[in-house]
Amino acid sequence: MTTLISGTAGVTFPAGGVGNPAGAVVGTTDTQTLTNKTLTSPTLTTPNIDSAQIPTVSGTAPLYMARVWVNFNGTGTVAIRASGNVTSITDNGTGDYTVNFTTAMTDANYSPVATIKPTASASSTNGKVVNIRYDTNLATSSCRLWCNSTGGAEDMDVVAVSVFR
Amino acid sequence: MNQRIIYPEDNGGVAVIIPAAECGLTIEEIAAKDVPAGKPFKIIDAADIPTDRTFRNAWEYSE
Repeated sequence: MTTLISGTAGVTFPAGGVGNPAGAVVGTTDTQTLTNKTLTSPTLTTPNIDSAQIPTVSGTAPLYMARVWVNFNGTGTVAIRASGNVTSITDNGTGDYTVNFTTAMTDANYSPVATIKPTASASSTNGKVVNIRYDTNLATSSCRLWCNSTGGAEDMDVVAVSVFR
Repeated sequence: MNQRIIYPEDNGGVAVIIPAAECGLTIEEIAAKDVPAGKPFKIIDAADIPTDRTFRNAWEYSE
């Protein structure tokens, strides 16, 4: 094997020789598939991510995805319908639920977002709210929510909670 | 997961923990994580929890 050095063509390595691995060198073509590669702190410029996961991305505002989510039935037989990063919910009493995270947040400065659907038998469909329970603080591993109406605490047919940080 | 964890609350009531089936933890692991430290608890069948919640805040924990 001979390594050729030319003043006009540059350096040419012999096929199969050291410095000339089989296949394209990573990062030299536009359509490479990286398998079992470890990328340390990569910068991804307008990546094309699976359309099933992120259907629409427009503008340049950063994305902050939910760290926790849960949808549960808060009345009758209280039960979790589906969830992510949740080990359990705690039924503390009427309309009073705690969401317990599997992996804790880095601090308690996160943003819980919740929505509710009253039961069909609720005395009024107006004035229902869900809030962080007035006498508790957000914790890194859980958040306690309180569903109520003008009549006081109230169980809800659907309680859906997401946490962003 | 047709089991629940109950423990007494400081106000005399009872808290009921409902596990997330997809979390990958056992009911015992969930109890160890989500029951407040120092609280006694019991693991019971979900069917043993009343479905009539009219007087939910009057439920009590019994040893």
